[in-house]
Amino acid sequence: MAAESSATSAAPADERLAYRGPVQRLLTRPEIGGLVGAGAIWIFFWSVSDVFGTTAGANNYLDVATSLGIMAIAVALLMIGGEFDLSSGAMTGATGMLVVLLVKDTGELGGLGLPLTIAIPITFLFAMGVGWVNGTLVEKTGLPSFIVTLGTFFVLRGGKLGFSKLFVDKVIVEGLDDAPDYDFWSNIFGSVWIRNDHIWDSFLGGRDVVFGVLATLGVAALAVGLMELSMVRRAQGDRPSMNSGMILLVIGLAAAAAGLVALTATDGTAANWIWSIVMAAGVLVSVVGYCTWRFEPSSGSAGGLSMGDGIGRRIGIGLGLVVVGTVLGVAMDSSNESVLGLLLTVQGLRAILFGGCVIVGVLMLLSAARDSEDSPVTRFATTALAGVSVAVVGFVIQAEAASRKYRAEFFAWMMAAAVVLLVVAVVRMRFDQRRQPDGEADRMGTLVSIIGIVLIVMAVATKLLWATTSELEQSRALITYRISILYFFAFAAVATWLLMRTKFGSWAFAVGGNKDASRQVGVPAARTKTQLFMTVSGASWLVGTLIAFRLNSVQANVGDGLEFFYIIAAVVGGNLLTGGYGSAAGAAIGALIMAMSFQGIPFAGWNSDWRFLFVGVILLLAVMVNNYVRGKAEKSR
Amino acid sequence: MSDAALLEIEGISKFYGNIIALRDITTSVRAGEVTCVLGDNGAGKSTFIKILAGAHKQSEGRLFVEGEEVSFDSPRDALARGIATVYQDLAVVPLMSVWRNFFLGAEPTKLGFLRVIDRDKASSIAKAELAKMGIDIRDTEQPVGTLSGGERQSVAIARAAYFGAKVLILDEPTSALGVKQSGVVLRYIVEARNRGLGVIFITHNPHHAYPVGDRFMILNRGQSLGDYAKAEISQEELTQLMAGGADLATLQHELSKAISGD
Repeated sequence: MAAESSATSAAPADERLAYRGPVQRLLTRPEIGGLVGAGAIWIFFWSVSDVFGTTAGANNYLDVATSLGIMAIAVALLMIGGEFDLSSGAMTGATGMLVVLLVKDTGELGGLGLPLTIAIPITFLFAMGVGWVNGTLVEKTGLPSFIVTLGTFFVLRGGKLGFSKLFVDKVIVEGLDDAPDYDFWSNIFGSVWIRNDHIWDSFLGGRDVVFGVLATLGVAALAVGLMELSMVRRAQGDRPSMNSGMILLVIGLAAAAAGLVALTATDGTAANWIWSIVMAAGVLVSVVGYCTWRFEPSSGSAGGLSMGDGIGRRIGIGLGLVVVGTVLGVAMDSSNESVLGLLLTVQGLRAILFGGCVIVGVLMLLSAARDSEDSPVTRFATTALAGVSVAVVGFVIQAEAASRKYRAEFFAWMMAAAVVLLVVAVVRMRFDQRRQPDGEADRMGTLVSIIGIVLIVMAVATKLLWATTSELEQSRALITYRISILYFFAFAAVATWLLMRTKFGSWAFAVGGNKDASRQVGVPAARTKTQLFMTVSGASWLVGTLIAFRLNSVQANVGDGLEFFYIIAAVVGGNLLTGGYGSAAGAAIGALIMAMSFQGIPFAGWNSDWRFLFVGVILLLAVMVNNYVRGKAEKSR
Repeated sequence: MSDAALLEIEGISKFYGNIIALRDITTSVRAGEVTCVLGDNGAGKSTFIKILAGAHKQSEGRLFVEGEEVSFDSPRDALARGIATVYQDLAVVPLMSVWRNFFLGAEPTKLGFLRVIDRDKASSIAKAELAKMGIDIRDTEQPVGTLSGGERQSVAIARAAYFGAKVLILDEPTSALGVKQSGVVLRYIVEARNRGLGVIFITHNPHHAYPVGDRFMILNRGQSLGDYAKAEISQEELTQLMAGGADLATLQHELSKAISGD
């Protein structure tokens, strides 16, 4: 009996559950498509613009993303609950205008001359009231929220224009700073942090060193975590304290560190070659050493080099594309800026052909590698081939590129990608992949991966948010961060937590997913939806107040028409238009994508008349990627 | 007959304008009993359920829960009195996970006013409760939409039982299911009855109703054709009644005449 019960408790895993690796689990998140898209757009504008990738660029698009994002998150919550709010854009202007009108003591009729301490709560109550009206009307009448909130939209729009004309006889109300307690409240809603001085030049060797250290530690932690999550651990007794793996790990780390130090110290092409190879080899050796020490080696059954029907062809086409792209890139004149037609310069055409061929080629190699699951040798060869291609292309770019950006930064990232591919190829060949969950390893792997991700985010934030002296001298404007960015991040975090962890979040998903079923089990559907409408109008209040403090005045048309951008941002971030699925973090990422697309175009030096065309393409692409990813995710469940 | 019925329905009628959906229905359900409500399409079964579930209000007649007269204004009221309804089509939210569905509307929370869901507790209770009903769920994180129809019904039944339902109303739980799946659901009905629940099982299939039922009420065109204990009626009689006995005999007669006539 005792033996039996211990046997059952020792097998908590259900044999019908196929184990899903960390990457597959990540793919089931709704925001993953948006995250990939944001990365791609950032890289795109980084490559075509000199300023976009710097602190000045980040400052610029983050500022745009802030007001868009706060609203997009609230709208996403409402969309998850299955409703729309078309009055949300006009609401931002209405609340901003109301707070100014309340504190003004000038004007024929308007202006109560209230202090902000009273005016701000009144405005908040007004916003809550509008949200409550929206929600209650939708619930009581049973009309689509599209129609009801279209009504409130027109009411607010007309009200804004009418009242501002009535009270101040202008289409703009000005003078928020008339309020006696303006200084106190402007600390809360209008603080600005001007970055024209900087601690980073003297701090720990400068910003880029801090970035480098954080990024390296983060990537290392993430790698350890992912390996822990995806590979078979050696049994406890089977792990000698000082085996060859540990020695390899130490030697490899030393070589990698030496390579890194030497690379940052040299600027000659020949030396770069040598030291990057030393570094890559060091990383490879240390990872293999770590794995030898910690994980079960592959159980053989290697099998020869076998090419399934599609795989050989894909490898051929992939390699061919890489070669063709590289040849084109070398052959075409990189400094020729003559226009070929449709805005395209020879230079641009070269970049598109080169980049396109190489990216598609490498992706084809990787897809061939993924599909050759049954032949480890083929998989190894294909992955390694992709890594080598990336490395070779990196060197070609370094030799050809005119700007330091490509020669140094981009080259470094290409090398890093190549090393990662090589390491993945070797490790997957040499060591066993896990097919079963393993509680302890899963917990530890998740923890270490999260630490790695946090470190990487900190590294990216360091790089993007803080400028160095030389960057400040180059950029045209002062770099100013507004407190609204903090509200944006805080709201994204709170909304995510609300959705995932609280009763309210669960009910939002439920009323959006199947309203009748949730009503039947006792979810107060009407109340939940009304609360969601009030969340949106509350967010409008926040954004409206931030606008009022920023400009000191509010025009009657502020926010009108932006409601669709909020919805688009939410959709781009992976929220379903039909409700019941989505995430708040996704909406924040969607807002970032929109902001980057809008601001990137002037940064790239293009005519901003084209920006809507670009946004349209982004929207379509994002939705298609989301659709594809969700399809994959649902299958892998 | 000594202990009071859990739910007593006395002379319930429902009119929609000039349409009489239900007229003078009387039946009851006791703890540990299954009362089957049988009827063909349009017999008034859905109206009957909606009144019991609190979604509609009866035009005439009275409801008693444990001997006390009640009046439901919403499904929440009915739920509060221990009457849980499992509808055939809208029992679950398909995109949400099994445990979230199981606890939907009554999530266990921690941290007081913040109302944070206690995920571990919810997940383990859901798994254990489903296991008690004989449903071995693979992963409580999987969306309910990925379960089979019978499993979904069972999740809803287990949920109602866990949340202290005294009376379980099942709306055609077997109508969309295959033979085997129906058998599974019927087993859960017996399981729920053995745990002391009163079950009202609505169906149009006497072959499903007879083996599990203790009491049978037959609806036809909004009227009751009788309320029988199991001892008072055989399966053949039930089927006869259900198909509208006399109508069927006339039809048979006419058919045979038509065939022999030419």
